[in-house]
Amino acid sequence: MSLDQLATWLMDEGVKDDVETLTRLAVRTELDNLAPETAETAPIDWHRLLFAGSILARSAFRQHQEAALRIATGAVTMADTQPVKDAGAVLLGKLTNFRAVALANDRKLLETDLEGRLGFGLRMEAQRRKLDHSVLVESSGHWLQVNDFQQRFWDSATLNNWLSASAPTASGKTFLVLQWLINHMRSAETRVSVYLAPTRALVSEIETNLAQLLGKAAEIEVSSLPLPEKYDAAQLGGKKLILVFTQERLHLLANVLGEDVHVDLLIVDEAHKIGDNQRGVILQDAIERLERSNDDLKVVFISPATQNPEELLADAPRTAKTDAVDSDVPTVIQNLIVAEQVPRKPKLWNLSIRERTASQPVGVLELASSPGNVTKKLAFIAAAVGERGGTLVYANRAGDAEDIADLIAQLVPVIEGTDKELIELADLARKGVHPNFALASLVLKGVAFHYGNMPSLIRQEVERLFKSGKIRFLVCTSTLIEGVNLSCRTIVVRGPRKGMGNPMEPHDFWNLAGRAGRWGNEFQGNIVCIDPDDTTAWPNGVPIRSRYPIKRESDAVLETGDGMADYLKRRADTPLFELADVGRFEQVGAYLLSTYLRLGSIAQASFAKRHNPNTIAKIDEQLAALADKIEIGSGFAERHPGVSALGLQSLLEAFRAYEKDVENLIPAPVESQDSYDRFVTIMRRINEHLYPAFMPDSLIPLYVVIVVQWLKGFSLAAMIRANIDYHNRHGRKFVLPKLIRQTMEHVEQVARFKAPKYLSAYMDILHLHFREIGREDLIDTDLDIGTQLEFGVSTRTLLSLMEMGLSRMTAVSLYEKIARDNLTKVECMKWIRERDDQFDTMDIPAIIVREIREKILAIDEGSPDTVSP
Amino acid sequence: MPAKPFSLGELHFANKGDAVAYLNAMLHKYDVGDKVSAEDSKILIAALARHPEGDKKIGSGVADFSVRTADYSTKCFWVNRTDGTTEKFAHRACVYGNVRPG
Repeated sequence: MSLDQLATWLMDEGVKDDVETLTRLAVRTELDNLAPETAETAPIDWHRLLFAGSILARSAFRQHQEAALRIATGAVTMADTQPVKDAGAVLLGKLTNFRAVALANDRKLLETDLEGRLGFGLRMEAQRRKLDHSVLVESSGHWLQVNDFQQRFWDSATLNNWLSASAPTASGKTFLVLQWLINHMRSAETRVSVYLAPTRALVSEIETNLAQLLGKAAEIEVSSLPLPEKYDAAQLGGKKLILVFTQERLHLLANVLGEDVHVDLLIVDEAHKIGDNQRGVILQDAIERLERSNDDLKVVFISPATQNPEELLADAPRTAKTDAVDSDVPTVIQNLIVAEQVPRKPKLWNLSIRERTASQPVGVLELASSPGNVTKKLAFIAAAVGERGGTLVYANRAGDAEDIADLIAQLVPVIEGTDKELIELADLARKGVHPNFALASLVLKGVAFHYGNMPSLIRQEVERLFKSGKIRFLVCTSTLIEGVNLSCRTIVVRGPRKGMGNPMEPHDFWNLAGRAGRWGNEFQGNIVCIDPDDTTAWPNGVPIRSRYPIKRESDAVLETGDGMADYLKRRADTPLFELADVGRFEQVGAYLLSTYLRLGSIAQASFAKRHNPNTIAKIDEQLAALADKIEIGSGFAERHPGVSALGLQSLLEAFRAYEKDVENLIPAPVESQDSYDRFVTIMRRINEHLYPAFMPDSLIPLYVVIVVQWLKGFSLAAMIRANIDYHNRHGRKFVLPKLIRQTMEHVEQVARFKAPKYLSAYMDILHLHFREIGREDLIDTDLDIGTQLEFGVSTRTLLSLMEMGLSRMTAVSLYEKIARDNLTKVECMKWIRERDDQFDTMDIPAIIVREIREKILAIDEGSPDTVSP
Repeated sequence: MPAKPFSLGELHFANKGDAVAYLNAMLHKYDVGDKVSAEDSKILIAALARHPEGDKKIGSGVADFSVRTADYSTKCFWVNRTDGTTEKFAHRACVYGNVRPG
């Protein structure tokens, strides 16, 4: 009998019943408000189980590893005798799960000096395992203890030029990658690294983590602003630089630097998002752009449980050494629990644990009230089953998240004496958003909601207080699977959707579910699925565990056969508004056209080898016809990924045909009375020529109000106040929470995403036109409009404050108190330092004052002696 | 009764209707947010002088004119004054001499 056969026999027969009993008992300890059990449970034969566990631990199959982890954890947490606990800890060591051993020590589940109690052989083995699973941080000379995946990552990242690493959500990827990045920056010749993350939320999280790891007065700069200053300094031998960007921000910086852009190391986090509709191809373009400007670019892709991480290496240069590091090993036990109502008893819910196809009951959950609708089901079950906290509830829409949080807050036990940090967060929500913003009163009860369009300062504080346990319930939306590193103890979910109502794909569901279980903080994580057999909620049932298939957006579109060639044919002479499939094809079409303009044929591009030569030839033919109409150079298309060269050309022709004073084509300064209307006309021009980005037309006035206020440096609170005033003045009714959410959404999606993308393309072509007609005098070389919009700044002072690393919310609240609008960073620093002891009396929220002190004043005071090791 | 001829600066029209049509065409030539050209501004200065509230509209003096949004998604001429203030005016009122309510 081979090892695998033995392990399979153990799972299917040998210790099947014991593992089931252990599982049921362990799960019951995780869930609150279960009805007491009456039946006696037979005692667990730990010696037998642990012996089986040590065999299962040697198998490479995930389910065997899971069972071994379950046995080891059970022994440590549930057994009553020290030898059994010790054996559990040894088994955890065999699984290289040193963090779980550390947690057991922290919880005082193990007596001290475990190794002293082990026999000589076991002690040697344990020490050898620890040595085997340590990596040397060269820059500091310290050893870092790692698990198997982390070790393979570390070794491979050092040896290879292109690496693609994939591991489940809670396996310590981000922590390790950041450690490796810093070590690499310190010990290698690397001057500039770029860390790409798909969302601004993740960008600010990574930036904060890096700053913390580097410590104060570090010799490496971290920045998320696409400004050339720090880049130039790093290239000229100043402080090395890590830039943390979304793909769009990387393009902004590359546009400013032009031909000079040279990055040594690129890390692409959440790399599976190269498959996202519309933004996937922008990411692909960003990677290729850096690769073109540096043949020796080192690239590291990171993705959560993916099926085919090696796919990302397909376009590596032939000479590059490549490797894929893949892990599917569980680090924390995850219990998938389904909740079904007891027939005719709406307050009682049967909970069962599901493992693959098998299911076993774990108990009956008792609710305080009958849940009448879907929102109440989620809220009541979450409040009951996850009463002890660390509980995350998934809501399909931001509005639902607010409603569910409100219901939970009515059910949970009152917190005695309100916490200072919660009071400060409530204060920030009131002052930073609106006095009646629902979050403020909820957080005082230890409940919060969370969605992508929230200001980052508030969102990050919500995450921090959820991690620390002060916020016990967090209701979130799909922002969490779009890339925020947040784990929890228990997730409660019913009929999850992603985006506009599509049922969640299994790999997205498991990316979400993977957040249950905080490795190093908890031994288990729980995923509670409500109404598993309700086909409205779960059209395809509760998804079975699955991993992401990586597929580039461009490849997916090209695989549609003639779809792309057909689109390009129609694109030539159909008005944009009449193309029904513009959303599906335009971005990739723009990428293909840009590639064609650069290479003269897409058959030369590296992606061509993956596709049918006939498809490529047909597309090439259509591209040739389009390229004939295009006079702008390929450089323009390269600078504006996702914006078609055809659109850029059409805009140029519109400028050439413009008969009135060309000054009317320039956006008017935001202080000017023409500014608002000028933007209205410009957005219409963009809709007509570049892409129907600002739709419907009737909402353009609203979009422009947001854009102008944003550029003027209005705070979010001021924008919401202005929106309320507008509604009142015009006698229009509104629902406050909705109006608040809508304002946030317009800031994020219009002012910070669409407007910079299309307005910077507009300005680029306008400048080309001005050069053609000899009106260079009209070209303003100040900060480009794309960067102004991304950050919501139009004055030197506000930009200086943000360059210092402050969030916009903090920068704006300081700017409201600063009289001059042209202060440099040094002058801002002086202004802040002079008022250090006055901030507390300025009616600025405490969290903002804290950010100022942490990011500005502390760094300022830091001396080289305080550099952390 | 034949219609009376009507003048705006150097421009002479057979009747008021033609003058309004001319100003309408001028207005529609512009997009919202545009500055009115120097040439057209001369006509608008003459027109504004005939506005029943002309003195008030002109205020500190005319710097230039813009076309901007009016109520209900329409557009109209705005006078930008030398003191930085701005106000819209109805070009029909400059011709017919009365301010229509609304």
